[in-house]
Amino acid sequence: MPLNQALKGKSYEPVTYEVERDRVSDFAAAIGEEAAVFRDPGAASAAGFAEQVAPPTFATVMNISISGQAVTDPELGLDYARVVHAEMEYEWRRPVVVGDVLTATPRIADIYARGPNEFLVVEADIADATGQTVVWSRSVLLSRGTAER
Amino acid sequence: MAAVVPFEDVHEGDEIPARSKVVRREDVKAYADASGDQNPLHQDDAFATGVGFPGIIAHGMFSMAHLASALTDWLGDPTALVRLKVQFRAPVFMDETLIAGGRVVSLDPETRRARLEVTAFVDREGSRVFAIKNSEAEVQLA
Repeated sequence: MPLNQALKGKSYEPVTYEVERDRVSDFAAAIGEEAAVFRDPGAASAAGFAEQVAPPTFATVMNISISGQAVTDPELGLDYARVVHAEMEYEWRRPVVVGDVLTATPRIADIYARGPNEFLVVEADIADATGQTVVWSRSVLLSRGTAER
Repeated sequence: MAAVVPFEDVHEGDEIPARSKVVRREDVKAYADASGDQNPLHQDDAFATGVGFPGIIAHGMFSMAHLASALTDWLGDPTALVRLKVQFRAPVFMDETLIAGGRVVSLDPETRRARLEVTAFVDREGSRVFAIKNSEAEVQLA
């Protein structure tokens, strides 16, 4: 079953996430990131940051909530068993630090077919408490074999 | 913190230092917990073999994180990484050595930014298999 093209442009409920120290430390450890600004608040402040810095791809912890609403939207008709993460893009406007309260507003930017597969593009502006965009994210999910023949 | 790699020191065709790591099962488990992505494809061998892999595979985002570290290690400043766009092309299996790197393809003297072509690959049975390819980064230089 092809994806529902009518959902192109659909926006979802904003998702809010508070950046906690333990989560940042665990994430840095899991990816083998040893730079002190990601591990130690003292080193981060010595380098001029307000707080311990989250590694650039830490925004990924919000991905599931960001793409989740689209992925599970019954109107879209996506079968998660057929899904492969095809592309990911981040644009960073300022570093995410511990204590940030981030809000992401996900939107289906595109749905298109290429050969037998379909592609679902979910974009999100991730903003801080002042409403400034901190990270922009774009995720492309591939739905295997669902394009119309 | 300001960008630390001087624009004048970087040239088209320059390669950044490669960052290499052996992908261990415990790292992938730690990544699943830290990122919240608990897809069984990354934790359950029986599930992974059921969908045609020899065992669990690393998250695509795990490889992207490693690539981002290669870039910020080179840059010496986490805020100098401005944009990273990757295509996931192949799975990474446990105990493989993932090597991330990049090559400068263009430089903009006005913004003092560089654009790089970036990759992450493993060597598997004598051939180079790209987990991340056709991908690019934009970085701020000093």
